Amino acid sequence: MTTTLAPARPEAAAARATFAALAAREMRRFVLNPLFLAAAGLTAYLLWSGQRSTVTEIDSVDAIAATLFGGLGMMAAFWLTRSMRASEPVVGVTPTTLPARTAALCAVAIVPFGCGCLALLWFVHLYPVSEPVYGAFSPPARIAVLVGQIVVPALGGPLLGVALGRWVRFPGAALVLFLLLSGWINLVTWLTLVHPDSAPVAVLRLFAPFALFTLHSDAGVTAWRGSPWFFLGWQLALCAIAVLVALLRGAEGRTRSRIIRALGIALAAAAIMLVLAGTGGFTHAVTT
Amino acid sequence: MVTASISLRGVGRRFGATRALAGVDLDLEPGVTGLLGPNGAGKTTLLRLLATALPPTQGQVRVLGLNPEVPADRTSIRRQLGYQPQEIGFPRGFTAFAFVDYIALLKEWTQPAARHAEVRRVLNLVGLSGLGAKRIRAMSGGQRRRVALAQALLGSPPVLILDEPTTGVDPEQRVTLRTVLAEIARTSVVVLSTHQTEDVAALCERVIVLDRGRVRYDGPVTDLTGQAAGRVWLADEPDPAASVSWRTGTGRYRNVGAHVRDGVEHVEPSLEDAYLLLRGGSPEHEPTEEVAS
Repeated sequence: MTTTLAPARPEAAAARATFAALAAREMRRFVLNPLFLAAAGLTAYLLWSGQRSTVTEIDSVDAIAATLFGGLGMMAAFWLTRSMRASEPVVGVTPTTLPARTAALCAVAIVPFGCGCLALLWFVHLYPVSEPVYGAFSPPARIAVLVGQIVVPALGGPLLGVALGRWVRFPGAALVLFLLLSGWINLVTWLTLVHPDSAPVAVLRLFAPFALFTLHSDAGVTAWRGSPWFFLGWQLALCAIAVLVALLRGAEGRTRSRIIRALGIALAAAAIMLVLAGTGGFTHAVTT
Repeated sequence: MVTASISLRGVGRRFGATRALAGVDLDLEPGVTGLLGPNGAGKTTLLRLLATALPPTQGQVRVLGLNPEVPADRTSIRRQLGYQPQEIGFPRGFTAFAFVDYIALLKEWTQPAARHAEVRRVLNLVGLSGLGAKRIRAMSGGQRRRVALAQALLGSPPVLILDEPTTGVDPEQRVTLRTVLAEIARTSVVVLSTHQTEDVAALCERVIVLDRGRVRYDGPVTDLTGQAAGRVWLADEPDPAASVSWRTGTGRYRNVGAHVRDGVEHVEPSLEDAYLLLRGGSPEHEPTEEVAS
């Protein structure tokens, strides 16, 4: 019998090499997931077919990528995270710790993030920021709106899926969360329609991983209250929270205390960003 | 060269009010050690402790001189450990090769060529070389057990913990596995739990019998078998003096017991007889606490 023990290497180098190889493996599994394939295919088709239709305001179309890459990406990442749960008796006694495996799963979000970036470029090509569909926002703010509605949800959805998969046993949790978020976004959007100038309602509208910023009516395109830039900050803080919550599972000793400290900072940053997003930007709805 | 070893001192494990292990003292050196005991004796709990899957609630465990309760030590132990649990689920859609390859990756085999060669080697050892591309969910129970064993053999670890490795495996494969394990045990500590006393008799130099979370016997297999000498006999009817009796294929009854009447037809004892004799003398119930495995 051949004895082929793994060669001894410095532990940090071994951990880095394992992380890179594991992240690449998980990315391949994520890309081949039917939900992600469906998200990519549908986004491409809807953007391609949307070229022939007239768009009156940007929010009627930019939710496509968020819903597909963010929503379906969340479900795919949730499935991926849970897929090894039954094998935990074996997987759990390997030298690769649970937080390291979680980090590799989080790295998977690079794929939908990249897809989100491509979708953003396609959007900017289809609907240049100089067009009136963006309402009263300045050109840089228009980019911020698009990044917050296309790129960051594509990144954040899968990260949320990983966090959910690490902490929740219920197999339908990702679908339930997707439905809850959709319901909440619809509810606060309706509230905004009723009270477009209210600051608390603006904060409520932005208290979600995805929010609408414009509305088309007979009067023109209305840009709602709130700062797209600070909303981006809020979304990125949510992404950080999702990663940290996911990493917290199985973390021990100093790693655990560092994660908890970082989580506190991210929560504080998220709260500040949310308040600034709700109170910044236009102080009332502006119709152009 | 450091000799592979495991030591347990006063080790206990509780699950709430249930005591699974109590006051276990053991020293394990290279070789195959069999673990016998009835369901709920604490065998699986003991193996999970050795495999660093579970911390003890009492006492001290040292694997290869390292303390599994210290995270850095635990990681070092896991680099040198193979563990086949009693029950394992497999992820949907994985082939045998893909699963073992995934575990090899988690065991820090990052070079693809070396990893793939190692995966092929262990699949070959367990007789699955031709089934690497088959989906695990389409495999028989015995084949799945062998996939679980294959991942434990990755890297020929100095410590190999196997929980019922031969359950559901056909006789030819069991013989092959015995050969493989005997080879590994020349330099590694191999601990296997089983209900198959013939595997222990054929493979192990040492046997530990657990009962209600305590070590009931710890010593050479031959010594345990020797304890049953003169206490196993055949009769046409079940003997009321025997602790255990059962009807054999010949239609006669095999009786095992400490109190043997004169004039009975003695037969050569097996390890199973000795185990049943040992078990037959144990109290029916422990008065205060339950035990779970």
